[in-house]
Amino acid sequence: MIPVVVEPEIGGPPTAPTSGAPLGVGRPRSRFGRLVPNVVLVVSAVFFAMPLLALARFALQNVPTVLLGWDTLFDKWSLKGVTGVFKEEQFWASLRLSLKLAFGTVLITLFLLLPTAVWVHLRVPKARSFVEFVTVLPYMIPAIALVAGIVVIKPQARWFLNSDLSLIPFYVVLALPFTYRSFDAGLKALDLRTLVDASRSLGAGWGTTVMKVLVPNLRTSIIYASFLTAAVVMGEYTLADTLLIESLPPFQQKFVGREPQAGYGVNLLALVSTTLLFAMVALLTRKRDPKRKTFARAAANAALTSDKAQNNT
Amino acid sequence: MTDINLAVGGRTGNGAAPKARRSWAWLGLVPFFAFLFLFLIVPAISVFSNAVRTEDGLSLSAMGEAFSGQNRSAFWFSIRFSAIAAATGVVLGTLLAYAAATATRPRWLRNVVTSFSGVAANMGGLPLAFAFLTLLGRQGVLTKMLDEGLGIDLYGGDFDLGSVRGLVIVYSYFNIPLMVLITLPAIDGLKQSWREACANLGGTSFTFWRRVGLPVLAPSLMGGFLLLFANSFSAYATAAVLTDNSKIVSRRIGFFLGGDVSIGEDAVGYALAAWMIIITAVAMLFYWLARKRAERWQS
Amino acid sequence: MTTLDFVSVRKTFGPTVALESLDLSVKEGELISLLGPSGCGKTTALRIAAGFEFADSGAVLVSNADITRTPAHKRNMGMVFQSYSLFPNLTVANNVDFGLRTRKMNATDRHRRVAEILDLVQLIHLADRYPHQISGGQAQRVALARALAVQPEVLLLDEPLSALDAKVRTTLRDEIRRIQTELGITTLFVTHDQEEALAISDRIGVMSNGRLEQLDTPREVYRNPSSAFVARFVGSMNELPATVAGNHAVRVGEHAVMVSQTTQADGSPIRLLVRPEDLRLVDDGGLPGTVTTCTFQGSATVLGVRLDVLDVVVAVYVAGIADLAPGERVEVAIDGQRAVCESIS
Repeated sequence: MIPVVVEPEIGGPPTAPTSGAPLGVGRPRSRFGRLVPNVVLVVSAVFFAMPLLALARFALQNVPTVLLGWDTLFDKWSLKGVTGVFKEEQFWASLRLSLKLAFGTVLITLFLLLPTAVWVHLRVPKARSFVEFVTVLPYMIPAIALVAGIVVIKPQARWFLNSDLSLIPFYVVLALPFTYRSFDAGLKALDLRTLVDASRSLGAGWGTTVMKVLVPNLRTSIIYASFLTAAVVMGEYTLADTLLIESLPPFQQKFVGREPQAGYGVNLLALVSTTLLFAMVALLTRKRDPKRKTFARAAANAALTSDKAQNNT
Repeated sequence: MTDINLAVGGRTGNGAAPKARRSWAWLGLVPFFAFLFLFLIVPAISVFSNAVRTEDGLSLSAMGEAFSGQNRSAFWFSIRFSAIAAATGVVLGTLLAYAAATATRPRWLRNVVTSFSGVAANMGGLPLAFAFLTLLGRQGVLTKMLDEGLGIDLYGGDFDLGSVRGLVIVYSYFNIPLMVLITLPAIDGLKQSWREACANLGGTSFTFWRRVGLPVLAPSLMGGFLLLFANSFSAYATAAVLTDNSKIVSRRIGFFLGGDVSIGEDAVGYALAAWMIIITAVAMLFYWLARKRAERWQS
Repeated sequence: MTTLDFVSVRKTFGPTVALESLDLSVKEGELISLLGPSGCGKTTALRIAAGFEFADSGAVLVSNADITRTPAHKRNMGMVFQSYSLFPNLTVANNVDFGLRTRKMNATDRHRRVAEILDLVQLIHLADRYPHQISGGQAQRVALARALAVQPEVLLLDEPLSALDAKVRTTLRDEIRRIQTELGITTLFVTHDQEEALAISDRIGVMSNGRLEQLDTPREVYRNPSSAFVARFVGSMNELPATVAGNHAVRVGEHAVMVSQTTQADGSPIRLLVRPEDLRLVDDGGLPGTVTTCTFQGSATVLGVRLDVLDVVVAVYVAGIADLAPGERVEVAIDGQRAVCESIS
């Protein structure tokens, strides 16, 4: 499956864009006009909730489907299905490995892609279309095909590919389209040249410019790219399984075979964790409350109220 | 003018001839390109090189074999269900995107839809597949409810999560959110003034969509279809868990690779992967072109 | 020939009152500008005329026919939006004939009409271009052509020049007026730019906070503003603290100034609003002051003068070039004929 985030809008991820008047606002609309969209929303909500609920039920309720009925609906609910996996040593090993992989991938992404994006915007603007095209390349090569290629090289590169962490650069490649796109969008929204020139002309060296000027302004893009990468790496199955690397997803799959309920429980945990991860992203990248009182606002307000009497053309 | 340099290959060249400066700047992209080459291009090329290699040298026989007999029906099956899954995702995703874009109450609705779409589109196929097994599998909750409540015996007929129908249902779970993510900006780009101008000139809602709305959205919709197609076609994890239907090409390749990495000298397996790359690459190429077209109208 | 009437039109959006009770009659072939700051209700009034909003109460009449509840697409009005209203996927020609197609005009007639109207706005050479290939000024002319192609009864313009460059604005403004007069089409023009309104209108409706403050010819609105708001919004005003001294006089500092009328009680403090061109430099007998700034603006010079008595800086227009430097002493006489007395509440 292709991991994708699309066109984070003006520096931010595709969450909470409030730009653009929604079509139809202000037009005289009958109640009937909203019927279809509302039905769509409700049906969608049901469709998307059902599998999750079913998974949760299976993991948390120790009643096999065959016996499930109105009378047994509230029996045997417990967290045992989920906590059962914590006893497994392999679980912890896999989890640790996946975390390491995620961390490594995010690190390399930040230290390779971010400077590259800045470099393109600052020094080689002509390369932009080309680089943009290049970032779509990973989409053209499905994961399973990629791993086939890796299998071919394996004999030649045993020294590298024997390590579990060798997955990291491939994960960086897989994540490339949306991490680069995220940085790109964030940079596009800044007037990068001006910021850098201003910072340098005020005497800041490159380190300070990057840390104090660029990074804070790219906060949203960086957070979004990092979390999304982490989520994708923690859920990546194809490469890991084919290369016989015991990260979390292969474990998730095999464990279901061994202990069904606990296995589903692990998968439920994975789902919940991913959701929490995204919730954190949304929280961290929330647009600042425009009503927040800051010095600038207070000054502006004061100027406005004293100006009212002298309102002029 | 201050001459700007980044850490890589730092060198202050104040007053250097512009032409020389610019060609040096491309050096800064070398780490990136090298990385990409090593970890993306090289494996991809290896697939092709192994696909055309036999004991007697280069030959396209494996490529041919990979597209005939059982393999051909596998490709046909995979392309078919991917196209249907993509079409379903496009239609339902666009509807959902439109519903979310035009909703004014409650105000958090749009945010919830976009956030959830972000999660669902990227959450990874494995948990999703298991979730659907608990819902619509042989022991699934919904299966049971349909049987006892409505008398519909799903598995009595020819339903299977690995069939076209089943795959389309499951894949829609991440295809629809993906479509929502792509289409929301495009729908936002439909300016209200176009709608009003159309009404002002005597056109109804239908006129608007027929003459302005859908034509403007068309590149996005087309692009969405291609992206969803490529997405469905190359999905592996979900299929692996859901079914052992060997008509799914990505699964077939998985079988060939067998998990035992020292064998795998089978050129046909690589040829399958090579064909897969070709098909996905072509789809994504057209997707990229469609996107460029769509952006023209989204300023 | 068409007239457009608003009869006690009232519109609220939730708690906000956009229009209190608007009564406005646009005569046949007349161009009325609705002028005011953001939020004054002018755009709301226009959108109610177009049918994009419906009035809460009151009526809208076109040639005495009640169209208050008629949906937008059934009204026969042409509208030019502020920006970006051309359909991006259609050529200029197809944009212009959009309204003709919805009216099921046949192809031959359509082509003829499109050529006619594009000729009127002098853009026939762009007929096959797409909106993203033409400039902002050209796009607005196409929008105008598109609105006029269907021969509407009323022309509505929603700040059509706001998004354009200054130079283009003036040329296009005059062209709009030329076409409007030539076709004799009843027009409602919304703008926040008073210079624009003054230049092209038959009458101006100055609005503030959902109310129509004054509806008069440009000359009258400028020279006889009916309220302090109108006085300030149109043109610029000096403000001098003064005291009422009788029915036709006020006291500024030690000086008496004759005004047309006072409504406030004797002795009450007011603000005297005077135009810079109603202040003159005199050799003696005026209010003494010191020149603070002297700004040459081409056809006139604007002097900033700090009046001794009041410690207020007033702007004085002097025709041509004035040879005065900051610090020089001058005396300023006030012509109160057209001044407005504003109560200080």
